[in-house]
Amino acid sequence: MSRRGLWIGLSLAAATAVLLFVLAKGFGRDPHEVPWELRGKPAPDFILRRLDNGAPVKLSDLKGKPIVLNFWASWCGPCKAEHPVVAMAARRFGQEYQFFGVVFEDTEENARVFAGMPDPSFPQLVDERSRMAVDYGITGVPETYFIDAQGILRDKVAYPIDPRTMMQKLAALKQPAGPLSEVVR
Amino acid sequence: MTAWVLGLVLASYAPQQAGSALLDPPREARVQALGKQLRCPMCQGLSIADSSSSAARAQMDKVRELVAAGKSDQEIRDFFTSRFGEWALLEPPARGMNLLVWLLPLALLVGGGFAIARAMRRPAPATETPAPAPRTEEERPPSDDPYLEAVRAELRR
Repeated sequence: MSRRGLWIGLSLAAATAVLLFVLAKGFGRDPHEVPWELRGKPAPDFILRRLDNGAPVKLSDLKGKPIVLNFWASWCGPCKAEHPVVAMAARRFGQEYQFFGVVFEDTEENARVFAGMPDPSFPQLVDERSRMAVDYGITGVPETYFIDAQGILRDKVAYPIDPRTMMQKLAALKQPAGPLSEVVR
Repeated sequence: MTAWVLGLVLASYAPQQAGSALLDPPREARVQALGKQLRCPMCQGLSIADSSSSAARAQMDKVRELVAAGKSDQEIRDFFTSRFGEWALLEPPARGMNLLVWLLPLALLVGGGFAIARAMRRPAPATETPAPAPRTEEERPPSDDPYLEAVRAELRR
């Protein structure tokens, strides 16, 4: 093979390798997985109204105890399956953690029925026009966010949470911030 | 999986809210242009300006709110990339690894054009090799086949 032929062959091989790398990088990830860059950052502050009594709830007033925020909607099938898991955790661990539901894109009438008003398992908040949901980087419902006692967003679960995952995430909230865990969809 | 499919089906019955009040035409044009650049988190390959999903509408509201607050286009893009990373942008910025996506096709195009130009410039072979002249009957070696020899003798006559 001539010297020129060798160079052309090497150049083509290099270009193919780079192309394969780019394609593998793109095809190697789940297209439904949406990155979330807020992990380890301060949770965006909010003032939302409680669905039951209309009282305002301000995030910055809640520091000192870890917080679990569960976004849901009555029109969301997986939320119906998930709701008992969050309600059970709120009943069992409500002394150590603060649990809040956040109604996403729903009517208040439907939300009240869904949450079991007038006796909901945990406080539900109304997010007018989903402003707060956008601030948190929501990609759909249900989603559950975990905020530590210092107000740092520690994790997010972007699928219907199961009891085991809930227990793991709650336990992690009490641990010092360590290596970042993966969001699983 | 079933839960997700069910969720997507049921999501179509989510109560739809109208978008927030439009801004004046020049600023609303900015809102729409920015919305075309931002990826809808609940859809596949659609911008938030083109999607009818509730999450996209909420994000368009946010874009409108930020434009109304006097934020620059870059600040608004940064708001979304600080939440979703560069995934939020439908057109990847031409830097870092993304630069390959922009430059590699161009490099291949230039390289291919160069190779074609070289191939076309190369001169064609000067003369073709002449085909060997057919042998005469006398030059052919005798054959063992009597039939073939008879045919050759007939031809020589």
